[in-house]
Amino acid sequence: MKPAPFAWERPASLAALLDRMATAPGSVKLIAGGQSLGPMLNLRLVEPDLVLDITGLPELREVRVEGETLVLGACVTHADIEDGRVPDVTGGALQRVASAIAYRPVRNRGTIGGSLVHADPAADWVNALMALGADVEIAGRSGRRILPVERFITGALEVALEPGEMLRAVRVPSLSHTTAWGYVKHCAKIGEFAHAIGAVRIDPAAGRGRAVIGAVEGPPLLLADARPLFGGRIDAAFAARFDARAADAALQAAGMADAVERHVHVTVLARAVAQAATPQPQPLPEAA
Amino acid sequence: MSAALAEPAEGRMALALTVNGRSLRVEAEPRSHLGDVLREGLNLTGTHLGCEHGVCGACTVLLDGEPARACLTFAGACAGAAVTTIEGLDDDPVAAELRAAFNREHALQCGYCTPGMLVAARDLVLRLPEADERRIRIGLSGNLCRCTGYAGIVRAVMAVIADRRARGIPPETGTGRGLGPVGARIGETVAAPRAQPNRVTAATATAAVSDLATTFEPAHRFTQEIALAHPPEAVFALLGDIEAVAACLPGAVLTARPDADTVEGGLQVRIGPIAATFRGRARITRDDATLSGRVRGAGSDAGGRSATEGEILYRVGAGGTPGTARVGLDVGYTLTGPLAQFGRPGLVRDLAGRIAADFARNLGARLSGKAAPAAAGLDPIRLLVGLVRARLAAWFGRS
Repeated sequence: MKPAPFAWERPASLAALLDRMATAPGSVKLIAGGQSLGPMLNLRLVEPDLVLDITGLPELREVRVEGETLVLGACVTHADIEDGRVPDVTGGALQRVASAIAYRPVRNRGTIGGSLVHADPAADWVNALMALGADVEIAGRSGRRILPVERFITGALEVALEPGEMLRAVRVPSLSHTTAWGYVKHCAKIGEFAHAIGAVRIDPAAGRGRAVIGAVEGPPLLLADARPLFGGRIDAAFAARFDARAADAALQAAGMADAVERHVHVTVLARAVAQAATPQPQPLPEAA
Repeated sequence: MSAALAEPAEGRMALALTVNGRSLRVEAEPRSHLGDVLREGLNLTGTHLGCEHGVCGACTVLLDGEPARACLTFAGACAGAAVTTIEGLDDDPVAAELRAAFNREHALQCGYCTPGMLVAARDLVLRLPEADERRIRIGLSGNLCRCTGYAGIVRAVMAVIADRRARGIPPETGTGRGLGPVGARIGETVAAPRAQPNRVTAATATAAVSDLATTFEPAHRFTQEIALAHPPEAVFALLGDIEAVAACLPGAVLTARPDADTVEGGLQVRIGPIAATFRGRARITRDDATLSGRVRGAGSDAGGRSATEGEILYRVGAGGTPGTARVGLDVGYTLTGPLAQFGRPGLVRDLAGRIAADFARNLGARLSGKAAPAAAGLDPIRLLVGLVRARLAAWFGRS
C-alpha cells in the first residue's frame, strides 16, 4: 500500500505550474488535497513520474462573487464550504452538499476542484454542480476557457482537460429564493460513494428546471429541461406531478437495463423532488 | 524552504515540520505519506495505519489543529505544517476528558482504532456541542472499530459533550481559518526528484498464466449486445479467427497459441488515469450448430497485484433486417486486488460498454474488407507488444 516512487514539486505560481506541465518529461499528475488521487497512488493504480502539488498557489484558494456568480478557486475544500467560510449564494445548497461528503478529516483536505477533475460518477460535486448549472474555468498556457460541468465530465473518471490544462476555478450561479433545490443520495454506509444520487433545481416561477440522476455507470444523466418529469410543465405544484415513469424511461433510454437499479435511482430522484418542494430550510446534516 | 536545511539525501526531500510542538527537520521520500514519516522517521508509533486509502480512520492526526488522514497526506504536501499526533495530546484537556470517558465506558478493546478515534472524537466535541447520538454516530462514521460495536465509544463522546455543554463551553467555529487544505502552506516550494525505482524485476514477476479451472462462479455478470450489418454466418466465421478477433479488440494482443483452442496474450484497459495490463490465457470453445461460443480466461496485471478471471458466452443471431447480425454477449468476471478494491462493478460495465462499441466498429470494418481503424493517440497494442517483448527477453535472460 505504498505508492511507486514519484518526484514531487510545489510550484509557487500558476505560470510556473503551467510551464512545468508543458515541459516535464514523463507522466504528470496534479494533486490538491489528495483525497481522491491519494488512494489511487497508494493502491498503485496510478504511477506518475512527477506529482505537482498545486496547493501552494494563492489564486487557487481565492473566492469572489462576480455579479450573480460565486467563483471558487479549485483548492477550496469541502470543509471551507461546510463551515461557511465562503459566501453563500445558493441558500445553503452548497453547504448541505459539502457537509455530507465522506468524513470530516477528508473534507478538511479534499477540494472542490480535485473532486471534479477526478470525475467519479458517484461523487457529490460532479452531480450537484451539474444540477446547479455550474461552469468550470480551465487554465492553459494558451489562455482560459469556460465549460459547463456537463461538458467537462465526459465519462467515468474522464474529463475534457487537454494536455497542459488544469481546472482553475468553479463558477456557481446563485439560486434565487424562488428557486427550489433538492439533493438526495443513497449510501449503504455513511460517507461511502453513493449508490444513487438525485438532484433537482426547479424554478417554478419561470417554469424551468434541471434534474440530474447520478451515481450511474458513466457521467451523470442530466435532464437540462426537466419538464418531462412533471407532465410537461413546471409550476408551484411540480412535486405532486412528478412522474416516476418518465424518469424510469429516461434511465432506460440511457442504457440502464437493470430494473432494480432504475427503481433505486428513480426513488432517490423522487426524494430529491420532495425535498425541493419543502420550503423550510433543512437542518444541516453532517451526512444526509 | 529555509536555508538552514541542509541538502537532503538523494531521492529524499527535507521538510520543516512542527510535530507535537517541536520544530523538526525531517527527510522523506516524496512518496512517503505523513503516517510513515511519523512512524518510521520520528518513531511516533501512536499513529496507526490500517487501510492506507482513507477509509478506516486509524491514521487520523491533527494538521494545523484540524483532523486529517495521515495516509492521504504526502510528505511534500504538509511542508511547514504543525502536526499533532496522539502522543501530543497528553496534556490536552479535551483529550484528557475523552480518555477518562473511554476508560469508563469501555470504549476500546484492542486499541488499534483508538488514537484515530480520539482525534476524531475530540473534533466532534469541539465543533458540535449540540450533537445528539445520531450526529455523533455520523461524525464517527469515518473511523472503523471492529471490537466494540461503537456503543461504548458513542456513550463516551456523548458524556464529554454533555459535560462541556453543562459547563457552558462554546464550540470552536473555525472562523479564523484560511481557505484550502489543512496543512498545506501557500508558497512553500519544496521539490525532490523521484527516488530510483526499486521495481520488481521482470524475471520474478508472476505473470500468472494460470491453468484454468473448469468450474467458475463469477462475482459479477452483465450482458452486452453488438449489432453488425453483416450476415450471422460471416460474423460467426470471423469470431472463429482468433488473430482477427484480437486485432479488433482494443488493447488486446496475442503472444502465443499453445494449442488450437488456447491463446495467451494480454489486454490493456484504461479507466481515466488508471491503466492496467492483464496478461493471461484463454480457452475458446465453439458450437457451429448454434453459432455460439465460450471464452474462458484468467490473467493478472504486470505486478501480479490485481487478478481477473472471466468468461464470455456469445451467440450470433439474425439482426432486425435480413443480412444483419446481432451478437449477444454474456460476460461474467471476478476481479481481485487493488483494482477491485478501487473499482465498482458499474465502472467495469461502463468500460466494457466502450470496449464493446469499439470492438463492434472494428469487426464491422473488417467484415467490409477495410482495415480496422487505428486507435487515436496512444496505441495500446504497440505499447503492450513492446512491454511483452521486454518481458519475454528478460525471461529468457536476454536483457
